[in-house]
Amino acid sequence: MVNVMENEPESPARDSARSFVHVPNPRKPGDRPTPSSECVIRTEQLSIYYGSFAAVREVTLEIPSHRVTAIIGPSGCGKSTLLRAMNRMNDFVPSSTVKGKLFYRGDDIYRPGFDPVELRLRIGMVFQKPNPFPKSIYKNVAWGAAINGYQGNLEELVERALQQAALWDEVKDKLQDSAYALSGGQQQRLCIARAIALQPDVLLMDEPCSALDPIATAYIEDLIDKLKSQYTVVLVTHNMQQAARVSDRTAFMYIGELIEVNDTNVMFTKPGNKRTQDYITGRFG
Amino acid sequence: MTAHFVDLLDALRRRSLRMAQLVEEVVREACEAVFQADVEKAKRVVQRDNDVDREEVEVESDVIRLLALYQPVGSDLRLLCTVLKVNNDLERIADCAVNVAERARHVDARSLAGPYEDLRQMGPIVVHMLHNAVKAYGSQVVDDAQRVLLEEDAVDALYGQIIRRLVAEASASPAKIASFLDVLSVAKNLERIADHATNIAEDVVFVCTGEIVRHRMH
Repeated sequence: MVNVMENEPESPARDSARSFVHVPNPRKPGDRPTPSSECVIRTEQLSIYYGSFAAVREVTLEIPSHRVTAIIGPSGCGKSTLLRAMNRMNDFVPSSTVKGKLFYRGDDIYRPGFDPVELRLRIGMVFQKPNPFPKSIYKNVAWGAAINGYQGNLEELVERALQQAALWDEVKDKLQDSAYALSGGQQQRLCIARAIALQPDVLLMDEPCSALDPIATAYIEDLIDKLKSQYTVVLVTHNMQQAARVSDRTAFMYIGELIEVNDTNVMFTKPGNKRTQDYITGRFG
Repeated sequence: MTAHFVDLLDALRRRSLRMAQLVEEVVREACEAVFQADVEKAKRVVQRDNDVDREEVEVESDVIRLLALYQPVGSDLRLLCTVLKVNNDLERIADCAVNVAERARHVDARSLAGPYEDLRQMGPIVVHMLHNAVKAYGSQVVDDAQRVLLEEDAVDALYGQIIRRLVAEASASPAKIASFLDVLSVAKNLERIADHATNIAEDVVFVCTGEIVRHRMH
């Protein structure tokens, strides 16, 4: 059954601020990761509209736990729209509406009364271009937890997040320097550290390497591979080689539709759908 | 760039196919050399093997270059992997053909009536099998490849029969040991050529379907 529902009106200012500051139910040390077969996010016949334009059309997709799922497809196919729907970032687009269901751990995140701010604390996001705050490296990572009344040792939290983001060794002696003094690749890893300092469940990455050089890209790709032991990662990328290198599952979208989803090694050796075949071999269109 | 890659891939595929046809001719000539005791034909087989060796290196270099520069996936990746594997099989087939042709110099197998007759049957079957494998490689049609796989049993049966006859007759005619070894060598190399033809057919199935059918009962 398809459910039609307008996005809940909400104050963007309140929303954007809170999404960086609250630490809900942080995972305790020693907590076991959930089994990989578990589905963290599931869409059912999900359609997303901008006004009357259907950017995503009746997509049914499962995102497995502790795996990297890549979403690929040509420009305008709806992959970023689908990604942003997973933590309701599309709510900030006034004309966007949603049909169908999108479940996070079994809970329909578009049901009336669902708190999108809480959701974004569990499902963090890393964007195409690094967007550090105009603050020190330390404050970039600590800020969200600090103003939310984090009760633990903040310095340990910062160090742990920077280590997980593979940045600690490069910045440990200059934590009070401006984040803007870092290179593009370091800034992107800082943004990842900032996201994981809030100890989310899922990391959404929207073309996180598109503004980076090959060396910085390799750093981020290695990092993604390590992060999946603790987080579920959903990656949107234009770079098919990157999807092949870092993801466990790959979903191919075209003109808003999910054409095919399968294990990445199958998708890049013997895709089942001709449109997938044509796209990955560059014969599309 | 993609159109350029498609052109390069197609050119490489056609080059590999031409090499396959050359190898097919070499094998046919090697069989004629040994069964007609034609030493001149045998020399030509050895010379043409040098051409095959040169071509093998060129094709392999082209495959590596396309893999490195274009990082192909899907059917393009399967085709390049197949060209590389078939290239190796073709080179080995030509080596086997040289081994067969070299027996033309001193084979006196006609005195071994039973095994020689089996050998004479085996030659055309192997040549036919290789022809069908090359045809399947060109057409990239699974049914063509499947027909090659069905012929392998006949070659294996004849090879087994030749071995059994040689074992039975060798002890009774120790003076003909050199002829026995000649027949054995030719039979062994023909059987190896049939194996390589089977490999090519299996690779055609892979390039068409993505399924690896090697080491399965056909």
